[in-house]
Order: sequence, then C-alpha cells, then structure tokens
Amino acid sequence: MGSLLEVKDVKRSFGSLRALDEVTLNVDEKTVTILIGPNGSGKTTLINVITGLQKPDEGHIYYGSTEITGWSPQQIYRTGIARTFQIPSMFGKLTVLENLLVAEKNHPGESFTKSLVRRLWAKHERDAVEKASKILQLLGLSEQSDMSASLVSGGQMKLVEIGRALMSDAKLYLLDEPVSGVNPTLAHEIFARIIRLREQYGITFFIVEHRLDIALQYVDYVNAMVSGRVIAAGPPEQVINDAKVIEAYLGG
Amino acid sequence: MTPLDQVILFVVDLSALLAVYLIINVGLNVQEGITGIPNFGIVFAVAGGAYITGGLSTRIAVSLLGTQTNLDPIFDNISVLQLVNPILRSQPPTAIALLILFLIIGGIAGALMGLISSAPAVRLREDYLAITLLAFGEILNVIGIGYKPLIGGPIGVNVPDIFGWAGQYRFYAGTLVLLLVATAIFAYAGYLIKTPLGRTLKAIRDNETVARSLGKDITQYRTVSILLGSTLCGIGGSLWVLYSGAVTPTYARFDWTFLPWLMILLGGMGSSRGVLVGTVIFVALNKLIIYYKHAFVGILPFDIVWLNYILLGLITILILIYRPEGIVREKWTAPKQNLSAADKEVKAG
Amino acid sequence: MALVTLSTIVGWLTYSAFLSLMALGITLLYRTTKVANFAHASFVTVGAYVTYTSTITLSPNPYFGVPVAFVLVGVVAVLLFYAVLEPMRRRNSSTVMLMIATLSFDIIMLGVVNIHADYLTNAYVLPSRNVTLIGSDFKFMGQPGILFVALGTLVLCSAALYMLLNFTTLGIALRASMENSSLSEAIGINVSMMLAISWFIAGGLAGMAGALIPLWTQINPNVGTFLMASMFCASIVGGLEQIYGAVLGGLLLGLVDVVGTSVLCSLVGPWVALYEPVIPLLVLSATLIIAPRGLAGVRVRRGK
Repeated sequence: MGSLLEVKDVKRSFGSLRALDEVTLNVDEKTVTILIGPNGSGKTTLINVITGLQKPDEGHIYYGSTEITGWSPQQIYRTGIARTFQIPSMFGKLTVLENLLVAEKNHPGESFTKSLVRRLWAKHERDAVEKASKILQLLGLSEQSDMSASLVSGGQMKLVEIGRALMSDAKLYLLDEPVSGVNPTLAHEIFARIIRLREQYGITFFIVEHRLDIALQYVDYVNAMVSGRVIAAGPPEQVINDAKVIEAYLGG
Repeated sequence: MTPLDQVILFVVDLSALLAVYLIINVGLNVQEGITGIPNFGIVFAVAGGAYITGGLSTRIAVSLLGTQTNLDPIFDNISVLQLVNPILRSQPPTAIALLILFLIIGGIAGALMGLISSAPAVRLREDYLAITLLAFGEILNVIGIGYKPLIGGPIGVNVPDIFGWAGQYRFYAGTLVLLLVATAIFAYAGYLIKTPLGRTLKAIRDNETVARSLGKDITQYRTVSILLGSTLCGIGGSLWVLYSGAVTPTYARFDWTFLPWLMILLGGMGSSRGVLVGTVIFVALNKLIIYYKHAFVGILPFDIVWLNYILLGLITILILIYRPEGIVREKWTAPKQNLSAADKEVKAG
Repeated sequence: MALVTLSTIVGWLTYSAFLSLMALGITLLYRTTKVANFAHASFVTVGAYVTYTSTITLSPNPYFGVPVAFVLVGVVAVLLFYAVLEPMRRRNSSTVMLMIATLSFDIIMLGVVNIHADYLTNAYVLPSRNVTLIGSDFKFMGQPGILFVALGTLVLCSAALYMLLNFTTLGIALRASMENSSLSEAIGINVSMMLAISWFIAGGLAGMAGALIPLWTQINPNVGTFLMASMFCASIVGGLEQIYGAVLGGLLLGLVDVVGTSVLCSLVGPWVALYEPVIPLLVLSATLIIAPRGLAGVRVRRGK
C-alpha cells in the first residue's frame, strides 16, 4: 500500500498568524486516516490548502506521483479528490437531489452548445439521477430528495455534503468533521459505510474529526495536529497514548 | 378613431413594449437571477444592439438589395431609404430575411458589449464586477452623440421599413413578430433552467466556493452567462429600433438598466414566471400612467417623468426592504425522476 | 514639452481634486458599509445645484454654497443610510440588494434634482441646465481661483479626515467599526451611529466636490452621472481597501485623462477629445487586469 497523499513541509500564514507551520504527513492508499487536534490547530486550513482553496506559502503536496501544489480547486476535483465542508454549505435554492447532481463530473449538459440539444445529454442525466437517488437512499435522505436544501436539518445537510462527495467518483475523500451535529446512531452508520466503501471501491479517507469516541474504532491511522504542526502519527492506540498528544488535549 | 380603435392601438403598442422588455429582462435574469451576476450595465448591450442595427441596417439593406446609389446611408439616410423601402414593401420574404439578419447582428453586438464590459472583472468579486459593468453602461450614448458616422449624431437615423409590407397594419405585424420572438426567447429561458447548465449556473449563484470545489470553472460559466444574457439584451435593443423605425442616442440607464432590474425584482428573480409577471405588471401600469399623464400637465410645474423616477425609485426600495423575493417565489425545478412508480417498486424490492 | 501647457496642468490638478474628493467618499463608504454606493453620483449633482441655487437665493459668492452643500448632502447621505440601508442590513440583505438600493436612491435624487431645476427656471426665469459659474470665479496668480479652492479643500479634508480617524476617540471607534463590526458592537460601540457618521462625511465630501464643479464646467442634472465612471475608477485605482488611496487614484486618473487627452489632441488631432469619456473605462480595465487591489495593493505586496 503506497502513499496516496503526501504533504511535505507545508507552511501557510495569514498575516502574523502561522496556521500551518511545516506540516508533513502521509496518507496511505485505501486507509481510513483521521486528523485530530484542538480548535485552531490548522486542520481546516490544511484541507483548504490540499484542495486548492488556498495556496501554501511553502511546501509541496503530492497525489500519488503527481505534484498538486498550488492547483486550482477545479483541477483538484477533476483529479479525483473530493472534500466536504465543516460548516455544511448547500446550494440553498436547489433541491437535495440537485445538490448532488451538480457534483457530477463532466456532464455534457453543462456545456452551452450541447445543452441546446437534449438528446446529447439526456442519457447522462438519467444515469446521474439514478446514481444520486441511490446515494440518497444509502444516506437515508430519499424523502428529502425534492426538498429545497436550505430547509433540511443541520444533520441532514452534513449527509448531503457526504452525498455530494460520493457523486464525484473520487479516490481520495477529505472529510471535515462529517458527523458533528449528527446523532450517534447515524454517526456510527456513516462510519460503517465509510469502511464498506473502502472495502468495496478502494477509496481512501482522510477525515478531520473530534468525536474520537465514535471514530476511533473505525480508523487505521491517526495524525495529531497542534498549532499548525503534526506532533504524532501512527495507529490509534499509539497516538492516543502519546504523551505530547495527551498534553495538547488536556493542557490546552 | 373609435374608442375601440384607441383601445386596440393602446394594447398593440403596449404589447410591443412588453415583448421588448420581456426579452431584455430574460437576458438580465439569465445573468442575475440564475447566475447571480449583478449586471448593472445591461444598457450597454441593449444600446449596442440598437446602435448596430440603426447604424448598419440601411447600409446592409442597400448592398444586399443591390440598390445603386452614391448617397451615404447615414448622412443621406432619408433619401437612401426612399430607394430601399419600396423594395422591402413589395417583397415580404426579403424583409423578413433582413429582419432575422439584423437580429443576429444585434445579438452579436450585444454579446460583444457584454464581453467587453465584463472581461476586466469577471474573475473578481461581484462588487468589482458590478462597478465595472455600471461604468461601461454610461459610455455608448456619449459616443453615439459625438461620433456622427455611427448613428448620425444627436438626431439619429431611421432604419429600413421592415414591416412595411403590412401596409396600414404595420404596427400590428411588428407587434406580432416581436411577441413571437419574445415567446421563443422566453421558452428558451424556461428550457435553460431545466438543463444541467442552468442547474450549475444556479449552484454558482447559491454558493460559489462549493461550486469551485466541485470542479466548476467559475470564470467560464460567468462568461457564458454574461454572453448569453447580453446577446438577448442586444436582440431586444435591435428589435426596438426596427419596431420604432429609428434609432437615437438616448438609451438611458433609467430605461434600460434600472427598469429591467425593477421588473425582475418585482416579479421574483430566478424564476421564468417571475420575470413574466414582473414585466407584465410593470409595463401595463407604467403605460397607463404615461397615457393619463396629459391629465397632469398644467397642474404640476414640472415634467411628470421626474415624478416617475421618484415613484419608481421608492417602489424599488420598498420591495427591497419588505419583499425582496418578489411576487413569484422561485420554484425548485426538480428533474423528472425517470422512474415510474412501478420501476421504483422493482428497484426497492 | 510644448505638448503640455500650464493650463493643462491646472486642468489636471483641478479635475483630480474633484475626483479625489468623490473617490474618498466612495472608498470610505465601501470600507465601512461594505457597499459600492451608486448614489454618489447624485450626491455630487445635488452639491452642484446647491451652489447654483445659493448664487441665486443666498449670495452671489459662488463659494458660499460649499459649506451648505457639505451639510445638506451629508444629511441626504445619512437619510439614505437610516431610511434604506440600515433596515436592509438588519434584514441581512445581500450586497447586490444594497447596491440596487443605492442605485434606486440615485434615481430618486435624479428626479428631485430635475424637478428642482425646473422649479428654478419657472420661479426665477433663469436657465438651470447647462449653466456655469466660471465667470464668477476670482483669479489668483493668473490662474482660476477654482484650482486653489479645489486643491485646498482636498488637502484640508484629507488632513481633517486623517486627524479624525487617528487622533480622536470618535475616529478610533469608527476604525474599529470598519475592521470588526461585531466585536465593536460587543465592546459597546454604537456601530450604527458610526456608519451614519461615515455616510455624513462621505456625502459631505461628495457634496463639496459637486459644489465646486459649476466653477469649472457646465452643470445639468446629469453631471454626477457623467462623472460616475471616473469617480469609481479613481476609487478602484487607489484601492478600495485603502482610504487615502483615493487621493492618489484621483491624481492618476486626472493625469491620464486631462494631460493624456491634451497630448493626444496635439499629436493626432482635436477629434480625440470626443473619446475622453472612454479613458476612465480604459484605466479601470487596465487596473482590474493588472492590479485589482489598486495602488494600495501594489504597495502592500512590495512591502512584504
């Protein structure tokens, strides 16, 4: 199992605030890896930098053998990396189903010229709708399918976020607190499905998560971040018993 | 004229104005309502279509109809048209063909204006884009007045009598054609919303950051939206010139930017039905007010058109404060799930 | 350089003074209220007509209207804020909606000014459109007085603004509201009042600029609209994020516009003057393409 995502010496500052202070970490293929750390340790910034929403000041990021440092979010998405947002961001005036459909890659119907001739995109649309419906079923959102996305509950919005990532056929998923605000039963279900997806499709997950009580049993590796640096990385038992990690969580 | 004739003429004239505004408002709605691009300079595209049609139509007619003349189509406009119009009046198919040609040219001009005015700022934040578009909107009238060879300076020029073949029913024929074009464009807008392109444009409007993370090239989509919307605005301007029979450099921000915004705001941005409702209500009311304006002349010591400005500005503000969604709230256009009830059962089981 | 005469320089500085005064207000409002104020054009127009009206009704001194315009237009601006923008802010209206609101207010004021112009003509049997007060201006060192008054006003206002923002409690509260309005609210600053004050100042600045314009050119109810592209261009060139950039933006745009047109006219022909209105658009486009944050942005980047 090789390394799918490699982050090397990445630095990012906002004015005088050093959000990322030489971050180095690896995510192996087909693993479920989580990133833990106190609030403000730079976890979301790291995700933003990896997915291109922000550019690193220094450092390199590799996806497989390709360097993706400084790529635009569009390029990153097309390469096969999907992300969710910590604060669920819906397309408010679209339905839940449409929210997923937008995530579909390379839809011929999105080009102006092709959109004029229905025949050129109707089949792709049908397939996309079917795929989206199945995903909604998987997430228990079938009933909300035609509802405006701004009207569903916070927990359901988180699920829509995950649903959108699932539409992308990505091989690497960067999830930012996917189960915060979701009831424990559903949270366990989601993680169980994540494992299943890993088994069935070989998808790699890199998850920022606070709910260690729920997440820890499902993960292969843990990375711990404090003040913009990775202070520990390895299997769960090793990391949570690491003195530095304990200090960071209890001392802070 | 009998009262019935007066009413009919009023309705016909109103329908023509309605058709033109419907086209322009759809053009604006594609940009703002669907894609969230605040184009405060659509007058640039409208005037672009109008000026090109006004400036070139006579010249084009002369060359295509094979009329031999040394006169200048702009400076000797009336004389040249006296040679051209009889031909058009006797050959309806030629006139219609020319009409379509002028519309295409007007649309292209509109698209070009949209492209020019948005290019510097299309990558930037919407505030910058709005300011740039507004700034460009002011320019064409200045050039139109100053550069005489374009549309003959302040007095403007006439255009070929495209509807002359209808004789005394010229205005009816004109209105009918306008309504047909408006209907086609309106139907297209309804179709656009249901396509994946329309859906993606709306997604960009709702949440640009997420759309970007889902791989959408925001700049490209914005450009498509602006080009499409501006083309429609250009067609509207072109049609108005052909219907009125002349063009003058008086395409003001009030009539062709502010009023379209008011109309789509009133009706409800984003939805096709909203645009229709807003346009119909406003055009009808405004026309009525202007029609009865002569009753006010003499009572008020100023031109009633200024009162119109104040009134409409106030109405817009009231709408913005108390009912910004407009009359018709946007319906979520769920795609048809092409599974019938029976299919759904089979799949579930 | 016989291409650039003394009168061209005078024209440049005078025009730039106007642009800077207007742009200062635009940038100030953008920084405090986060909205591009499309009513700024009519603020200027009102100021122009205050001067003209005051020469008819109050005093033949054409500069008498300047302080009157400052107060009057300031009040109009505050009216726009409290009656229109504040209710919308409280309802969380989007930026676009706020822009439409300022545009609508501009339309209303356009109607008001036109009505006023008609009233002037009817009541005083005097022209009120395409009029100018250039003839009433004094001369100093052989140059039109407006040059000195305009520049002087700009310098005084910039200095006063600077002192206000940096050396007074009010100014510090204002800047706090600009940087972080929720935090300011939390520590007891009445953000709403701070914004209203910034609107008064911005309106006053625009009003004064407008009040001086009749001494330089003809005015009519469209004078503000005509300058709209230029004032926003100056603001963007200076950088929307940096208040004092507006002064530089005004100087730069004025230079390109006045001196540029003059030079081109001498080189190519007088017909170039026809296209003068295109210049702010060209400068605006160039700025947005090359350095969208304006001069302020460029300076900041170099400093790092």
